[in-house]
Amino acid sequence: MEMTSLYPVASEIFLACAGMLLLLWGATAGEKSTGAITVATGIAFIIAIFMAGHYETAKAVVMGGHVGSNAYVLFIKVLLLLSALASLVLSQHFLKSSKLSRPEYPVLVLFATLGMMLMVSAESLLGLYMGLELQSLTLYVLAAFRRDNAKSSESGLKYFVLGALASGLLLYGISLIYGGSGTILFGMLHEVVTADKPPVELVLGFVFILAAMAFKISAVPFHMWTPDVYEGAPTPVTAFFAAAPKLAGIALLIKLLYGPFHGLLAQSTPIILVLSVASMTLGAFAAIAQSNIKRMMAYSSIGHVGFALVGLVAGGQEGVQATLLYLLIYLPMTLGAFGIILSLRRDGVYLEQISDLAGLSKTRPALAAIMTVFMFSMMGIPPLAGFFSKFYVFLAVVEARYVWLAVLGVCLSVVGAYYYLRIIKIMYFDKQMEGFQRVPGWGVASLLGVTVLFILTLAVKPDWALSITHDAAKALIG
Amino acid sequence: MMPITIHHFLAVAAILFTIGVFGIFLNRKNIIVILMSIELILLSVNINFVAFGAQLGDLTGQVFTLFVLTVAAAEAAIGLAILVVYFRNRNTIAVDDINMMKG
Amino acid sequence: MSSELIQTYFPVFVFLLLAIGMSGVMIGLSFLLAKQKPDAEKLSPYECGFDPFSDARHKFDVRFYLVSILFIIFDLEIAFLFPWAVSLGAIGMFGFWSMMVFLGVLTIGFIYEWRKGALEWE
Repeated sequence: MEMTSLYPVASEIFLACAGMLLLLWGATAGEKSTGAITVATGIAFIIAIFMAGHYETAKAVVMGGHVGSNAYVLFIKVLLLLSALASLVLSQHFLKSSKLSRPEYPVLVLFATLGMMLMVSAESLLGLYMGLELQSLTLYVLAAFRRDNAKSSESGLKYFVLGALASGLLLYGISLIYGGSGTILFGMLHEVVTADKPPVELVLGFVFILAAMAFKISAVPFHMWTPDVYEGAPTPVTAFFAAAPKLAGIALLIKLLYGPFHGLLAQSTPIILVLSVASMTLGAFAAIAQSNIKRMMAYSSIGHVGFALVGLVAGGQEGVQATLLYLLIYLPMTLGAFGIILSLRRDGVYLEQISDLAGLSKTRPALAAIMTVFMFSMMGIPPLAGFFSKFYVFLAVVEARYVWLAVLGVCLSVVGAYYYLRIIKIMYFDKQMEGFQRVPGWGVASLLGVTVLFILTLAVKPDWALSITHDAAKALIG
Repeated sequence: MMPITIHHFLAVAAILFTIGVFGIFLNRKNIIVILMSIELILLSVNINFVAFGAQLGDLTGQVFTLFVLTVAAAEAAIGLAILVVYFRNRNTIAVDDINMMKG
Repeated sequence: MSSELIQTYFPVFVFLLLAIGMSGVMIGLSFLLAKQKPDAEKLSPYECGFDPFSDARHKFDVRFYLVSILFIIFDLEIAFLFPWAVSLGAIGMFGFWSMMVFLGVLTIGFIYEWRKGALEWE
């Protein structure tokens, strides 16, 4: 076995080794090493991005056919690493001031990211399962990371029970697919599925897998865990949940739909359609009634998943490209919004209620302005990136002759605009409360700067975003 | 004597799986029972894999079973650990008491 | 026939002898070398520090959970080691080193729990 045959998973192997070393370092040096380990984890993420960009560009399947690389997987992996890095930057001040600063935190984030990367680079159902479980198990622990807090441990418990159920569904589906086709490798599955009449076990198994994936990306009707977990988990963990696992889940769903189960695409499109419409609707209406901003973000993320799935309903290279573009814009938008939430402190206490935002425009006008940009972008107001992403999914779906879905989507965006506007109204027009503290640290500040710049400039210069998503979609389908 | 075919194995697995899923949703007593239901689901999957593997004359099913066993152990360990943390905070593990967040 | 039978089962016989021999040596050595202090408590049935004849449904120390959780994780490596040991001849050096990597990863987990003090009762 030559070393070059491991190149397509070079970044994963590197991250795994780095994670284990950092774990040992943390266990030996104790809690005072947390800062250094966090920095080292961030550096490991950056090195992994470069390794992925250098070694994993070619299309290849290695390790007995269980993992592989191509331009699509590379695109997702780089996005995953970047959002993990961003959430790590966001977490620093919160963890320190909440006395959660333990070396396990960055290591857990690292292993969760590794799991997601393995999940999207999987080329067999076994590789998929192992990656998904590595991701899920670490995320359960992260949700319950605040051990002395009842809400946090309750959210961890809920996430665990429902996540384990989803894994069970996934596994049952995998076992049926294995029984129906006799293989777990994506390449061979592709041949069996595209044959004239795929065995019934295979179709049934794929439905189970779809349900499990809907669970993981919290698409309605499998979303029950999302608001509670988002509310209970420590805020930086919530930011991480809203970004990376969503991307990994949808990316994996796309890979399954256009890889091994391409032959079932026509039958599964109605399922995706139902998930998409239900998620958009619930996201728009349920968020209105929330008073906790993390809960509101949970429903908002459910809605965004619905919009992203619209691209998959459209299908084809354009549809997939629209979904990827949606995710590419959704990530900085969400991470930025959480950056604002993590900047709202009064007397050292982090605020979580929407009403706490009152008068932010007076005491911290810059924060209020940035939050306004994020909210307008999430609504889909024209010059901002959020408009651009919604425009492309609706364009794709209109071209695929689902005009009614585009109309419905636009209507639901208008409904959803209500709660985003409400936040802006509270920030600018409600009676001022006591002053807010400064933005905690340069990390959060620079992240806010980068994300807001991204959202403001993407509409002016969208070519690069279109071209990278085009290349990624083409690598998968073309 | 009726010969035991793959369908019998699959039926047993399907029944176990259903019991597991219903155990999670209908159980109103104790979270430990939910953990047991999850184990039951994974067990039914293992039966499926071994049965299919034996029928196909293929080792993949058995290898997959080993992986599932290991992950199930890790999952149970993490579930129990989170449950212990939860118990320390709330002093109860009754399903009806998991209600701090609603809306 | 009989010679063939003996040939087939000879390894089993050797294992049997070894097992009996080793356990005999262990029991014999402890009988010869250890101090003998008979006590009624030592003969009584026990149950991890509990009163043996009481209600089984009372709460017990959470530390038992920790021990059993850690045990399960490390116990399951046997499930991988056994097929590996049986097929070692067929899988060659690559198979051998794969398992060594796996055991190395496991050792890192072990060192972690050791350093964290999860193995100490107090």
